[in-house]
Amino acid sequence: MSLPDPRQAATFRFVRADYADGEARLVYAFDDGPELVERIGFPDAPELPAGREAAFAAALRLLHFVAGISYYKAGVPRRIAVDGVAPDAETAQLLDTLYLHGLGEFAYQNGLDLREHIRFPRAGTHTPAAALDLPARSLLPIGGGKDSLVSVELLKRHGESATAVWVGNSPLIAACVVTTGLPGLNLRRQLAPELFEYNKAGAWNGHIPVTAINSAILVVAALLYGYDTIAFSNERSASSATLEYAGQAVNHQWSKGWEFERTLAAWLRSHVAADLNYCSLLRPLSELAVTRLFARESRYDAVFSSCNRNFRILGPRPADRWCGQCPKCHFVFLALAPFVPKPRLLAIFGRNLLDDESQQQGFDALLEFREHKPFECVGEGRESRAALYALSQRPEWREDALVARFRDVVLPQLDAAGLALEPLLRPEGPHGLPPRLAGVLDAFR
Amino acid sequence: MNSLATAPGAHAGWVVVKFGGTSVSTRPRWDTIRRIANDWHARGKRVLIVVSALSGITDKLKAIAEAGGDRSRREALRAEIVARHEAMFAELGLTERAPLQYWLDRLTALAVDARAETGDLPWQAEVLALGEQLSSTLGQAYLTAQGLATRWLDAREHLLAQAMPNQTAWGCYLSASVPTAPDPALAAALAAHADVFISQGFMARNADGETVILGRGGSDTSAAYFGALLKAEKVEIWTDVAGMFSANPRIVPAARLLSRLDYEEAQEIATTGAKVLHPRCLNPVREAQVPLAVRDTNRPELAGTEIGATVAAAAPSVKAVSERRGITLISMESIGMWQQVGFLADVFERFKRHGLSIDLIGSAETNVTVSLDPSENLVNSDVLSALAADLAEVCRVKVIAPCAAITLVGRGMRSLLPRLAGVLAEFDLLRVHLVSQSSNNLNLTIVVDEAAADGLVPTLHAALVKSEALRAEDPAVFGPAWSELYASAAPGHETPWWQQRRDDLLALAAQSTPRYVYDLATVRERARRLRALAAPDRWFYALKANSRPELLQVIAEAGLGLECVSPAELELAATLVPSERLLFTPNFAPRAEYAAAFARGARVTLDNLHPLQHWGETFRGREILLRVDLGAGRGHHDKVRTGGAGSKFGLSLDQIEEFRQLARRHDVAVVGLHAHLGSGILDAQHWREVYAQLAALAQRFTRIEAINIGGGLGVPARADEAVLDLAALDACLTEIKQAYPQFELWMEPGRYLVAEAGVLLARVTQTKRKGDYCYVGVDTGMNSLIRPALYEAWHEIVNLTRLDEPADTLYQVVGPICESGDVLGSNRRLPGCREGDVILIAQAGAYGATMASRYNLREPAAESVI
Repeated sequence: MSLPDPRQAATFRFVRADYADGEARLVYAFDDGPELVERIGFPDAPELPAGREAAFAAALRLLHFVAGISYYKAGVPRRIAVDGVAPDAETAQLLDTLYLHGLGEFAYQNGLDLREHIRFPRAGTHTPAAALDLPARSLLPIGGGKDSLVSVELLKRHGESATAVWVGNSPLIAACVVTTGLPGLNLRRQLAPELFEYNKAGAWNGHIPVTAINSAILVVAALLYGYDTIAFSNERSASSATLEYAGQAVNHQWSKGWEFERTLAAWLRSHVAADLNYCSLLRPLSELAVTRLFARESRYDAVFSSCNRNFRILGPRPADRWCGQCPKCHFVFLALAPFVPKPRLLAIFGRNLLDDESQQQGFDALLEFREHKPFECVGEGRESRAALYALSQRPEWREDALVARFRDVVLPQLDAAGLALEPLLRPEGPHGLPPRLAGVLDAFR
Repeated sequence: MNSLATAPGAHAGWVVVKFGGTSVSTRPRWDTIRRIANDWHARGKRVLIVVSALSGITDKLKAIAEAGGDRSRREALRAEIVARHEAMFAELGLTERAPLQYWLDRLTALAVDARAETGDLPWQAEVLALGEQLSSTLGQAYLTAQGLATRWLDAREHLLAQAMPNQTAWGCYLSASVPTAPDPALAAALAAHADVFISQGFMARNADGETVILGRGGSDTSAAYFGALLKAEKVEIWTDVAGMFSANPRIVPAARLLSRLDYEEAQEIATTGAKVLHPRCLNPVREAQVPLAVRDTNRPELAGTEIGATVAAAAPSVKAVSERRGITLISMESIGMWQQVGFLADVFERFKRHGLSIDLIGSAETNVTVSLDPSENLVNSDVLSALAADLAEVCRVKVIAPCAAITLVGRGMRSLLPRLAGVLAEFDLLRVHLVSQSSNNLNLTIVVDEAAADGLVPTLHAALVKSEALRAEDPAVFGPAWSELYASAAPGHETPWWQQRRDDLLALAAQSTPRYVYDLATVRERARRLRALAAPDRWFYALKANSRPELLQVIAEAGLGLECVSPAELELAATLVPSERLLFTPNFAPRAEYAAAFARGARVTLDNLHPLQHWGETFRGREILLRVDLGAGRGHHDKVRTGGAGSKFGLSLDQIEEFRQLARRHDVAVVGLHAHLGSGILDAQHWREVYAQLAALAQRFTRIEAINIGGGLGVPARADEAVLDLAALDACLTEIKQAYPQFELWMEPGRYLVAEAGVLLARVTQTKRKGDYCYVGVDTGMNSLIRPALYEAWHEIVNLTRLDEPADTLYQVVGPICESGDVLGSNRRLPGCREGDVILIAQAGAYGATMASRYNLREPAAESVI
């Protein structure tokens, strides 16, 4: 099968979405091209409890709109069309914002300006959603990295009933879930195969806001299986922009940021269920505060990985889980170093990234020293600078090649006032924790 | 009562036999113990049996000891232990309950003891000791009931622990040591009571008469203590493996059983990696000069490993190679004056202060580097940080970790250095941080980055055997390979086709030699096996291995594509497969060749920036594959490794971004990524790694459709090498493929398809004796088969004419070329060879005829196909 170049398409269409027998089918098309069907599988799905029908329909519509971003971006046509009923104005606004900011990095990488393209059609109003008396328990998405594992331990300590949930086939995440000891729920997601054909025909490609898609999938799951809370593990640093482009802030992890969390949470309360909570447990924390919490528990040392290059692969050796080359490896190594005994850290990674001169450029980017912050979910520049400064004061670290270089070359150019670790570890800023989970914050103090 | 005819005399010697947990956990195993003890007794010896606790019991006792205030947990564990021993009592068919009940009552009393709440150390020791007290009690009753009168001996009456300087209270009670020296009075006193005794491993008493525990490996150590006290003729440690091996058999199946070691060698091997024997148990037997043997309970016919005094006349040999991981090096650069007095004392005092014990030491004028073993303390506490802070007062500290320490052990190491040249070359590209060779001439330790150590021990072991630094053929030192003893069920080597077709081959040789003969059925079978794998989508046979058209026809019919590296290869391949099955992967080819390949419709692989920088128009609008260099190369020889900066193949990873930009500028679509790191690889994990790395890299591109992980599927040359497990390979690949379903998987086997299908037949021309060497000359050499000379490749060689005669002569098999490297095989055992005999060189189907030359103006071997 050979498909036309989607960049030539005039319209991106949301065709329809339906759900049956544990599978949601989300259908899209470019112009009058073939239907692109994405399938989301919900294993052992129960019958939808009576009374949740309207909420479920709203959730499925949201999922249809949000997951469309994977397909929309292949062509970014000038027109977005919704077959059937258009979203109300509030929903259309949420989607416009998500598509524009969620594709910010994509637009920057491809040299596109999407402001003229992204406008969802809108019509009508909605009636406020009622409370559904959803069971008081949490869905906790697990990514295989440190953040969600910190959340697991916080919720366990808090006595919260929680299920570890993940989307897709990743042996590494599955191994992490087993280690948590929590019940697990593995949701399936299958992209429309035609997307690969469109790629061959010249489609645009690049970063998409996958956390938004996973969030929408979990909203459907929460209604189906009965959970009143979806608790992500995004921290404060996720809200800060990577760079400015065409007068617009570009943030690689926009859908992990506070603005998206707050907007989606409010939308869910008004459009889906008044008692459905969408929040991030770690929101008041910096990356460094999260790594400090992670350091308290060593049970995940041999199974977790934040590396985006090797993250799908589970292997017995550290090199199977940590490529050692990418910004995530650099950052997690650096952020754990002040809080973990050096031999333990080196055993986790299998090597010492800070004693490897070939990694200099990567660490410079984290410090925002002569480089811009990488397009990855990594902490703020000041966090990296403070962590490296702390190491440069520690005898067991300070002779390592990149720590010594920091001391000799970078440090003289920095303002010493911004280098203290302690202020960065304090929880601060807004959060959206529901009252039941407010006590989790005590662990941060 | 025992009714043996050979009652021991007044001067009967002692033998101590020790059995571990699995050996005392079933009735059949107790029958084995009885048989072994009985055998010694029948031979006139007095026997002391030392036993461990039943399997799993010590862990449960430890859980009780550490349960703290959790009384219900202690009670639950107690009940489990009681039930286990009741069951054993029943299984052994015993009737007299009182002795067992005594110890079970002790357990009940200790479990509710007030001291349990605080985990009092003397109480813990009493709890832990119960496992052996229970097992030896059951054993005494059973052995006696079975007709071997056995007397129960309380180990605590005879083993008196002595506190060591600086020993913690924990160490005094739970990791105690017992100074021992032969005690003839004790031996005589015991001899007056009985011939066969059973006692407990793992425990002793202290000066106050309290029970203490010997710590890890404690039962072996108990046996050694008793062996020393009684000045036994022998101590036997009966376990589940035949003894100590020349390497860890789990990673080196070809590791050889060590038949004979001296105490110091055994100590080194036990300390540097072997788990079968705890290093602590060697010192007592060495001091008392008591021989110790390790033996396999399931294979009593094997003599196992004998450990005794040094044999003066023994030829030096490496005995074992081992590795320890998780090593931390502390490098200390002196900041004071040159030859500063007391620097080492200052430094070492700080290690002592933090309770860290140093293993290896390397020093230079201004630097001392030491190694620390991975301890719980080091990894999970801040001790290293505190140590570094203290050391920083007197020197500049650098922590190097994680490292792996690779140790070669063998008496006379220094005289082996010349033979180790080729072995040490394996460390070529690795970062070596420290080399240590002790003056006792026993070991050589090399410390490298842990990440670089994967696969190193198997490679070193093979190199040691090849260089004969490890004298594997010396029956005085080495026994069979582990794989021969235990892995017979593993997927094995098949009978080669040429054995069945010997008559046809001899007939062909009668027509003329030298001659390559290829068996098409073998090629077809290999192709079928590859096609049966689920994960790979497309296969390309690397034509350079063997380009004989009849073989190519079979391979093309099996559905494989052809991978070519020159225009002539492409031309030949194009007559056999359609253009979409042509892959052109040249290296440093001129511009015109790429244009010609596109004209043929072949897929083209680039591995350099140059073509896109300078010849962009040739590639404009084309789809290409990119060959990258993932870094570390692997394979059986330097010259077949094709990864790493020293290799001319592949694009360096740091140039990928530039390559992408060039491709974009010239409208070139990168539709595939390729890497090929080496040849002759027998470990399935290798391709998994290459695949995972390429797939991760592919995500940086937008148009990638295929991942080509190359070839290098190994063909084992020697019988003791493992066969590549294709099922395991497929499972590894499938796992990655599930993670990256959007990419097709391609592979490029070469040697795998054809190596075993071909043999080289040559005829004996002359034989020669020179000193200790016997040479047999054949009518072709490196002009037909250059692999032995070029790659040091090992090919099996047989005398086809005399296949059924005993191979009793050690030959150097050489060709007629005027070149000292014209050796087809050295040190080969063959029947006595005579002029005119037909010699067969096996596995010659790959890189044989295709690499042949007319050197010396001698025509290479002709080729025929059967």
